[in-house]
Amino acid sequence: MKTITYLLFWGLMTSFFLLSCGAKIDDSQCVLLPVAGDPTISFRIYFKVGSQDDPTGKEGLAYLTAHMLSEAATKKNSYDEIISKLFPLAAEYNASVSAEMTVISGRVYKSNLAAYYPLFTDAILDPAFQENDFNRLKSNALNYLENILKYANDEELGKAILYNEIFDGTGYGHLPEGLINSVKRITINDIREFYRKMYNRRSVVIGLGGGYDDLLLAKLKKDLSRLPSGTENIPPKNVPYDIQGLEVTIIEKNADATALSIGFPIDITRDNPEWYALAVANSWFGEHRNSSSHLYQVIREARGLNYGDYSYIEHFPNGGRRQFPPVNVARHQQIFEIWIRPVPNATRHFVLRTTMLELRNLIEKGLTQEQFELTRNFLRKYILHYAPTTMMRLGYAIDDRFYGIQGSHLEKFYTALETMTINDVNNAIRKYLQYDNLQIVFITNAAEKLRDDLIANTPSPIQYATPKPKAVLEEDKQLLNYPLDIKPENVNIVDVNDLFQ
Amino acid sequence: MIKELLIGGSLILGLGLIGQAEVPIFPYKYNEEILPNGLKVITIPMASNGIVSYYSITRTGSRDEWEPGHTGFAHLFEHMMFRGTKKYPGLLYDNIMTELGADANAYTTDDYTCYHLNFAATDLEKIIEMESDRFMNLQYDERDFKTETGAVYGEYLKGRVNPWFILYEKLYYMAFDKHTYKHTTIGFEADVKAMPTMYKYSQTFFKHYYRPENVILLIVGQIEPAPTLQLIHKYYDKWQPGYVPPQIESEPLQTAERVAEVSYPGKTLPILMVAYKSDAYNPNNRLYVAGLLLEQLAFGENSDLYKRLVLKEQKIEFLAADFSVNRDPKLNEIYAMVKSEDDLDYVREQIYMTMEQFKTEATDDTRLENLKMHLKYSFLMDLDTPDHVAGNLANFIAITGGIETVNRLYSEIMNVTATDVQEAAQHYGVPAKRTVIILKGAES
Repeated sequence: MKTITYLLFWGLMTSFFLLSCGAKIDDSQCVLLPVAGDPTISFRIYFKVGSQDDPTGKEGLAYLTAHMLSEAATKKNSYDEIISKLFPLAAEYNASVSAEMTVISGRVYKSNLAAYYPLFTDAILDPAFQENDFNRLKSNALNYLENILKYANDEELGKAILYNEIFDGTGYGHLPEGLINSVKRITINDIREFYRKMYNRRSVVIGLGGGYDDLLLAKLKKDLSRLPSGTENIPPKNVPYDIQGLEVTIIEKNADATALSIGFPIDITRDNPEWYALAVANSWFGEHRNSSSHLYQVIREARGLNYGDYSYIEHFPNGGRRQFPPVNVARHQQIFEIWIRPVPNATRHFVLRTTMLELRNLIEKGLTQEQFELTRNFLRKYILHYAPTTMMRLGYAIDDRFYGIQGSHLEKFYTALETMTINDVNNAIRKYLQYDNLQIVFITNAAEKLRDDLIANTPSPIQYATPKPKAVLEEDKQLLNYPLDIKPENVNIVDVNDLFQ
Repeated sequence: MIKELLIGGSLILGLGLIGQAEVPIFPYKYNEEILPNGLKVITIPMASNGIVSYYSITRTGSRDEWEPGHTGFAHLFEHMMFRGTKKYPGLLYDNIMTELGADANAYTTDDYTCYHLNFAATDLEKIIEMESDRFMNLQYDERDFKTETGAVYGEYLKGRVNPWFILYEKLYYMAFDKHTYKHTTIGFEADVKAMPTMYKYSQTFFKHYYRPENVILLIVGQIEPAPTLQLIHKYYDKWQPGYVPPQIESEPLQTAERVAEVSYPGKTLPILMVAYKSDAYNPNNRLYVAGLLLEQLAFGENSDLYKRLVLKEQKIEFLAADFSVNRDPKLNEIYAMVKSEDDLDYVREQIYMTMEQFKTEATDDTRLENLKMHLKYSFLMDLDTPDHVAGNLANFIAITGGIETVNRLYSEIMNVTATDVQEAAQHYGVPAKRTVIILKGAES
């Protein structure tokens, strides 16, 4: 059975080729994934620019610039006309902006390519940068920062604050959407200048996949060679904040339930061979939206306190809306992150204690042979689901380029699982994880009461609405007094209205 | 007996022929069989790099919660079904699913509950064994039940953070008097809160609805139909029929417009919802199919109104429209997030005027044809993986019991004329059949 699965996986992954491109776009700037029989063509045009390149005081500039390409007029067509022309093709193009990457992507039926191609390339090469489009997109970004994120999605808010705190003062220290006052400050001229500087020939990578032919590739190379030559954008190293002890940020709002995020920087990314062993440990501890997650078993399954509890060793935005890891949000500096979905306010201190103890157990005890085997078997097949479409595989191939991985990350992941031992996993845990210096973020009400409870290590007995097994109640007795060394100067309370200013 | 339906050749061949109305849009071959106990099985072989999607479509959703005080049970079962059986208790079930590396999940809608898994083709028999076991032999004690009902109430509270949750709760409550579409899928809050006391009722619910004649299996991907069906027989033949249909009251004709305002306890831009009573899904009803196109032509992203209000005047963040695809008549919804409270009346007036305009003026033929192309390609582009195929079919199968309706619907879409669209506007865009909800943020 193993052999068959491996062959299937090999078949999936070896359709990835890296071909030489020549011409003005350098050979190394093309990531190609031809798929015979695919009736569609997938494009991912990756620019080495992201929100970390936002100038201070203009946070949100990279995000707005990319969206001025994907959702605005070109020199040939108004945005109104673009919508009309794309509509019968059932095709579109989108911009995604993360800390270090901007990707303009689109997919079209081969039979609609002739109509689609000029719209897609015009968006990248000949944006009009008109004031009315700019005002509309600015309004969208502000609505997200002022209303949606602060009030309608506490989970995503908790994660955003976690990253902002850990990377405070660096290019990673704000959301791609920016900061409220900064977005207001950005002008159309800022957009023009940023585009001229950052969207250049040396910072572009062409990703092309599916049923395309050589003519299309040659044309795309030639057309994108019209980008100014420029200089390649070499990102600065984002040195994370040096967390000392347990640092707590409490965002106070009128919340019915408490969202909790915990994390710290880790000194490893997927191009390091040890990453795969750490990924096994993380999968056991907190596989995203999966009942195999140990944290899920402890907090949700045994105690019924929330909807799910997960952990990550790579950035995983919008986790509530996706089952599998996203592509093209790659970063050179990652964090270990724990995501506790909202729990009843009365249990927030207890849940923090539980999570912290479980993290400590993971680090001190590691995985057992049985846990290791189970998780390894799980991942062997589960990663088959990561990239089912050409578009996703192309995304992975672009990320391989970002990290400088020779070959395919998913293929290496599979191979690493074959040879990995329990010692590799437990060594990786000890080498890269710790529980002494962490950033903790609560989104909750009655913040001062929580601060006092945390500092004083107030016992946090828990009452369940329903009977629980004896073993759980025994564990709870240990947990209610589990000490956390939180110092008064390390607790910061922020009103939700004051965020993202 | 296997009834084989030949539907086009390959995906690419099928595409070349679409546009001639008589050629079915669905590009894959599929097989349907009904077991003696009433369980229907649909298999769709397709190349998929060794992945199979397995959907158990249970034709019970929040629509079927007709007994007062018991709303939310369809969704509750989405949770309870992971609690295990005598043979495979919850933890063992989870462990085996982990061992198989399966991507397993479930969702509930107003019309059905869907349990779906993606897994390696080599694990097909194990999955069939485990899925059949939990549908036939689900077992949970009162303690498990109370834990899970507690989690569901947590989910309800989590949902209330979102203004759309509050908006829809109010909309359905206002628009329906008798029909069970009056409550959202998660249920009325009082009922969800009281769930922990309803252990016995939960068992009745399971016995009534989790029966073979109320479930359709949809299996897509790297499979051979005949051996797959043999396995289905092996594991599902013992399942006893006994479905008890719900006693859902019909909704009386709405005779006057209903308007309500609702407050969201946070900060949001105001939201305007204009919803008209619809008809039940019926691809043979030309008026219904034309209504589906009308909604997009008048209020979709390529409509004049969208371009004027969103792009030009920039009075609203967005405008969107959903046409009801439901078992019973529900609502055709048009909604907008408005940038300033001062413009709410203006935007509302523009929506009404647009509907009136479609009643009196014939749609431009090019626009109509462009929309048809858009719908066709949108459907086809998203049939690229087993999960996408199954996911796109599930709703249609839940409503009608089979796949054929998809071909019928797209064939009828191609036949819709500008006159049909005009008649649809006259039929659906009636002010007396309208419910309007305005949501404002309390802290805005």
